[in-house]
Amino acid sequence: MENVMEVKDLRKEFKAYSSRTGLKGAFRDLLTRNYKVIPAVNDINFSVRKGEMVGYIGENGAGKSTTIKMLTGILTPTSGSIIVNGMNPHKEREKFVQTIGVVFGQRSQLWWDIAVQESFRLLKKVYKVSDADYNNHMGHVIRTLDIEPLLDKPVRKLSLGQRMRCELAAALIHNPPLLFLDEPTIGLDVLVKLKIRDFLKEINEKYQTTILLTTHDLSDIEALCERVILLDEGSVIYDGALKNLQEKWSEGKELKFQFLEKVDITAVKVLTSELPVKWELEEKEQVFTATVEDSGELISQVIAKVVAAYKIKDIKINETSTEEIIRNIYEKGAV
Amino acid sequence: MFYISMFFQYISQYIKTRLQYRADIFVEFFSDLLSQAINLVFILVVFGHTDLLGGWSRDEIIFIYGFFLVPFAVFSAFFNIWDFNDRYIVKGELDRILTRPIHSLFQIILERIELEALLGAITGLAVMFYAGSRLGLEMHWYDPFLFIVFVIGGALVYGGVFVMIACISFWADARMSLMPMMYNISNYGRYPVNIYNKLIRFMLTWVLPFAFVGVYPAAFFLGKREWFWYSFLTPVIGVVFFVLSVRLWNQGVTKYRGAGN
Repeated sequence: MENVMEVKDLRKEFKAYSSRTGLKGAFRDLLTRNYKVIPAVNDINFSVRKGEMVGYIGENGAGKSTTIKMLTGILTPTSGSIIVNGMNPHKEREKFVQTIGVVFGQRSQLWWDIAVQESFRLLKKVYKVSDADYNNHMGHVIRTLDIEPLLDKPVRKLSLGQRMRCELAAALIHNPPLLFLDEPTIGLDVLVKLKIRDFLKEINEKYQTTILLTTHDLSDIEALCERVILLDEGSVIYDGALKNLQEKWSEGKELKFQFLEKVDITAVKVLTSELPVKWELEEKEQVFTATVEDSGELISQVIAKVVAAYKIKDIKINETSTEEIIRNIYEKGAV
Repeated sequence: MFYISMFFQYISQYIKTRLQYRADIFVEFFSDLLSQAINLVFILVVFGHTDLLGGWSRDEIIFIYGFFLVPFAVFSAFFNIWDFNDRYIVKGELDRILTRPIHSLFQIILERIELEALLGAITGLAVMFYAGSRLGLEMHWYDPFLFIVFVIGGALVYGGVFVMIACISFWADARMSLMPMMYNISNYGRYPVNIYNKLIRFMLTWVLPFAFVGVYPAAFFLGKREWFWYSFLTPVIGVVFFVLSVRLWNQGVTKYRGAGN
């Protein structure tokens, strides 16, 4: 399938100056400044195919927002090339933004003082959407996001969850083939998050909308994206399937036990001494955690031994969470 | 065509926003009207003490002042970008502007529109008619048309210089306070330029051409033949400065650094 996004050797440098200390330093700063060139995005390459949902993740300050801003034509790259929807976002900005939708979780697209539908109406004019297209497409969006009852309320009276749903709808007024979402679920409750995820999946299936998503909530990525691009200090450190990342980095499984009576951890350790198990005890809740390799045989053996010896209140089997995987990667700084 | 229709769309949006606050609208309207009335009295009192200034009579100076108020009102209504640096650069609102398919400067002008400022034009017209009738000026059929052209030219001069100043924020990092200075200089245009020294006159004509907002175009209606040449230059200077400022703006936008999230 065709590529909707092609990024080559993309680089963005910011010039920052470091100030000297003290009053004397302040005077010296006035005359000569120590400039430092800091690459926020450091020669990255990737491409995205039509219909893909890509998670773009990284720590704070890793360069995610800077990349998104370059991809949407807000910032001019220092060097490198970007082709999105067959255009250079910065050069042909006005024509280009007609083909994308953008949601910044921390910034509003809507007019604060007037009813949501008035904002929609103006945006409809801005994007030159015909009445027929609007009714056809937005009718569906409004129903799915369940914002019908909010349309006649001014934006300032909406809750964050209500507002975010309206923001999402506003970004889709011109039914763009490409959608950029920068932390769209920040600060939202579980129900709204689920609703937004379902909606994104649906438009992706229905219109083949390509979606590039940044978020700190990895459950969003797990629910939506098959592919992730992992960024660290301005460089891409991983680009590929989320599943591979999980397989490669998962450190076996965790078995969590809670017992009916009080049990000593050394006794449990002795019990499974022939097996390669690492035990940990969480004192407060009396949860015993055994970390084992991911093999069915081993897990069964551990459970069999423990269950035979003690009465069990609760057992859980957990895989290493994506969050932990990502944390490990950040700590090592490479994949 | 698209831009004209967008212009009216934004104006109707602005009016809707205003109508949201019913009490506010009346209070504001009356306070604006009152401040204009005070302004009017103030002008008459201040100029009551002047007789002749560099070959201009008291009423002529009042007339120039009255004329100045009209392009200034138009400018204030449409170039309400005093807080451009703060709002759009430091707070990063420009991000949002840049994701929409309309020229960024046009969007900002439309977003910040402040139609109440147009009330100032009424004061200006009143002052002009007062001074004009005392001077016994006659109205010709072409005067209203030229008046409109000169007003637009004057407002564009103001807008152009203002936009250029705002553009500095694209390059400079810090918050800046050039705007108040700008406002002060702009007041020089309200008085006949030939009372100033040569250098200042040159500045006000070609560098920061505020003389084209007040004296030069007003001189035409006062029948001062020696200034006619300058009067008719008003729309030209307006367009030239505004075009230059838009060029500079387009350059500046590529230097925009964005605000951190």
